[in-house]
Amino acid sequence: MDAAGKFYDAAAATFATLIDVGHTVSSLYNMTNVPTGVWIDEQGVIVRPNEVAYSRNVDFGNGAIAVNGDDYVAALADWVEHGPESRYAMTAEEIVGRLRSPDDAEALAEASFKLGVYLYQDGDPERANVLWDEAQALRPESWNYHRQDWSFLSNDEASQNWRQKFEALEGEPYYMPLALDEDER
Amino acid sequence: MQNWKLFPLLACAGCYGQTMSPGPATVIRDDGVVTLERALTHESDLWVVPADLPRVNGFELKPEGACLDALCAPASEDGPDPLLLSRDGSQWFSVTGLARRLAQAVVAAPERRVWSLGPIALARRAYFDSAIAPDFELPNRDGELVRLSDFRGKKVLLVTWASW
Repeated sequence: MDAAGKFYDAAAATFATLIDVGHTVSSLYNMTNVPTGVWIDEQGVIVRPNEVAYSRNVDFGNGAIAVNGDDYVAALADWVEHGPESRYAMTAEEIVGRLRSPDDAEALAEASFKLGVYLYQDGDPERANVLWDEAQALRPESWNYHRQDWSFLSNDEASQNWRQKFEALEGEPYYMPLALDEDER
Repeated sequence: MQNWKLFPLLACAGCYGQTMSPGPATVIRDDGVVTLERALTHESDLWVVPADLPRVNGFELKPEGACLDALCAPASEDGPDPLLLSRDGSQWFSVTGLARRLAQAVVAAPERRVWSLGPIALARRAYFDSAIAPDFELPNRDGELVRLSDFRGKKVLLVTWASW
């Protein structure tokens, strides 16, 4: 809250800002990185599942657009205006086809990770680290797990870990590419 | 810590005679943390009073068993890994025994009396079968609890961020 709060204050944010120390939302929605966005309609039905949600174009230092946030915001505005008629709104059938229950390893990773979060907050960082190591081994593609663990290293060490892991992707996407349009999906 | 998937243990009802440890317990589940005033623990096993079962794992103890919607797992005090136990004038339900039957992930720190339960696929059918956004309740920066369902009737963009 201390780290992020000043940004919300500076932006005079009017949207609801919730604090999720226990990683509840990423558990419930099976999220593995930030920022992740989900669109939910007036009836509480998902119309776009997890996808990278930047509000502007983002590159990773090489000048190439890694995430087209400008298009994402335009698509969002289109949905706000047109609702289910928007070409960016998916049908429930399309969403359901994309959702997947966590497999056994992912479910165990989540239980380990969250016990680690709890024990860390309860003053047992050694035990937390063991559990986080297990979660990361079980689900290496979750950047959330890595970054929660690295957040207790020095900035230099955390940056180095991130860079190593990022470079090890070797062309695998850090974020799944946005596929906004009907004909891209 | 006990990984039930990899090292299944057969619990033994007779073993509980002298070694059950009463006291509070904490359960971490997919949508939050539940604090129990009363629980019995035995090594990595967790027993709760039936009244606490709904908030621990969404199940409810009925005459036909432990039920989640239409699904019921028969519960009795008999057999090698019973779900029910009578002790100290109370009935107790084995949360970890049910997890074994459901192949639900469990990771515990028994000496801290904390159990972390993985998701139960059957409890999440509204999400996986009908794309209903899972509800949750979290504090805002003023400490006021806000539910996702408070926004019903409006479009919602749910975005997660972290400062790390």
